[in-house]
Amino acid sequence: MSAPDFPPSPGDLIPAGDLSRRSFLRTSAVLTAGLAALASSLRPLLDMDDLPSAQRFMQKYYKELTPDEMARVLKRIEDEVAKEYGVRPHVRDLRPMDGVEFVYALNLTRCIGCRKCVHACVQENNQSRNPEIQYIRVLRMPHGSLDIEKAQDHYDPAMVPEKGYFYMPVQCQQCRNPPCVKVCPVHATWQEADGITVIDYDWCIGCRYCEAACPYWARRFNFAKPSIPRERLNPDMAYLGNRPRRLGVMEKCHFCIQRTRAGRYPACLEVCPAGARKFGNVLDPNSEVAYILRNKRVFIQLKEELGTSPRFFYYFDV
Amino acid sequence: MDDRPAKGRNGSGATTAAVLWALAAAFAVLAAAFGLGPAGQPRPRDPIPLVDPSFLSTATNRRSYADLVRAKEDLSDFDCYACHEKGRPPVLRFDERENLIVPREHADIVMGHGEHGRNNNCFNCHNENNLELLQTRDGRALRFQDSPQLCGSCHGPTYEDWEAGAHGRISGCWDRPLGPITRQQCVNCHDPHAPSFRGRKPAPGPHPLRRPLDPPGRPNAS
Repeated sequence: MSAPDFPPSPGDLIPAGDLSRRSFLRTSAVLTAGLAALASSLRPLLDMDDLPSAQRFMQKYYKELTPDEMARVLKRIEDEVAKEYGVRPHVRDLRPMDGVEFVYALNLTRCIGCRKCVHACVQENNQSRNPEIQYIRVLRMPHGSLDIEKAQDHYDPAMVPEKGYFYMPVQCQQCRNPPCVKVCPVHATWQEADGITVIDYDWCIGCRYCEAACPYWARRFNFAKPSIPRERLNPDMAYLGNRPRRLGVMEKCHFCIQRTRAGRYPACLEVCPAGARKFGNVLDPNSEVAYILRNKRVFIQLKEELGTSPRFFYYFDV
Repeated sequence: MDDRPAKGRNGSGATTAAVLWALAAAFAVLAAAFGLGPAGQPRPRDPIPLVDPSFLSTATNRRSYADLVRAKEDLSDFDCYACHEKGRPPVLRFDERENLIVPREHADIVMGHGEHGRNNNCFNCHNENNLELLQTRDGRALRFQDSPQLCGSCHGPTYEDWEAGAHGRISGCWDRPLGPITRQQCVNCHDPHAPSFRGRKPAPGPHPLRRPLDPPGRPNAS
């Protein structure tokens, strides 16, 4: 680089120890304004109170955790929940049982649209109450159609069921060919041997690709820090199930993994006043779901044509 | 930072400097407004009331006789011979349209089993010779606890579904070796005298994060 062929103007040269008053004021004013702008743009960081502990930050992928490491992780989660909610939970890591494949069957003839399943699910699975996260969406559709375009989930009559309508609760369909799993860039969601598609909340980066991929609108995103009243916290938790989630991770129905992998029925089934919900091991020929798939008019898997092959079946009584 | 224009060597440089300063000041004011003013603050969320615990209850609609026996509760309602006389079947009275006249003592009973009021004879199900028993159409006597078999004597396919667990409510463990189940009886959900399943008030609907575009009250948003 050659030297400039014209003499520099006096203002360009700020000889050391000879800062002009004007340029000092100007520089410092601009600096102050710049710093203020930077500070105000970083203000939201002040509201961040959920910084990960070193242990959580360094935690390995779920499938790579040794039993010892898993025990430490569960202990850490229990400590975190106890600190935040003042209730000491019991967090377990339940693995799939051998020879079990879960299937859900829902009787559209019986469902009365009372939404009790929605709220039992929220209670069981420690979903955020405000903003509200619900895994089950009950669709009301006019008789004679199965057109989701005509469905409405904000119905609020004095009494259900209403004349001329039927109700179809939709939740995670636990597909055999799940599109959400395919799009996850970090393998934070996968299908387990018993058919439940699970999420490792500590591995999820919150990109919401899975939410976009799911044709059943079954996945929910924590846009805000979840709020759960202490007295409504369910302390029976599972790592892949209902332990409290953080801001910025996905969640969805997991067939109440903390209950079903311990042999119990899911919460939505237990609360259904009409007995419309049926759940069980389809590989056991004596189970209710096997009987239903054999004998009842199993009408649809929702959006069957997409080839997702849900493990959630809707059926009718004759 | 180029301060040559500010030197005021010519008129256009001074104008540029003035404009730049004005712009800088405007942005600074905007930044302050967003940083400190209400526009930049997160909007407080609308409160959402916690759902009423009654919507979380897993209790059945009704309690069956078997439930009352199990809970060792007052069974005086089922003590028929406190009023009726043994060995003398009560006489049924019908109005001119052949509807059963429910006596005052049984005013809590609403007759609504079967269409067109045709199933209006108490002794289609109750045993007239022993009011503390039930009877099927083929004459089998059954205890109140065993009422599902009475229901099944007419509603065969439904009874079959109920036995297989496809109709009605079962709670407890899907994995039978891991724990017990509770299988609810027909009368836990259906009133035997008016069995069609009653409607109920729905639990509150979803509160969307973003307010819905359709105001409530539009036909689609009822």
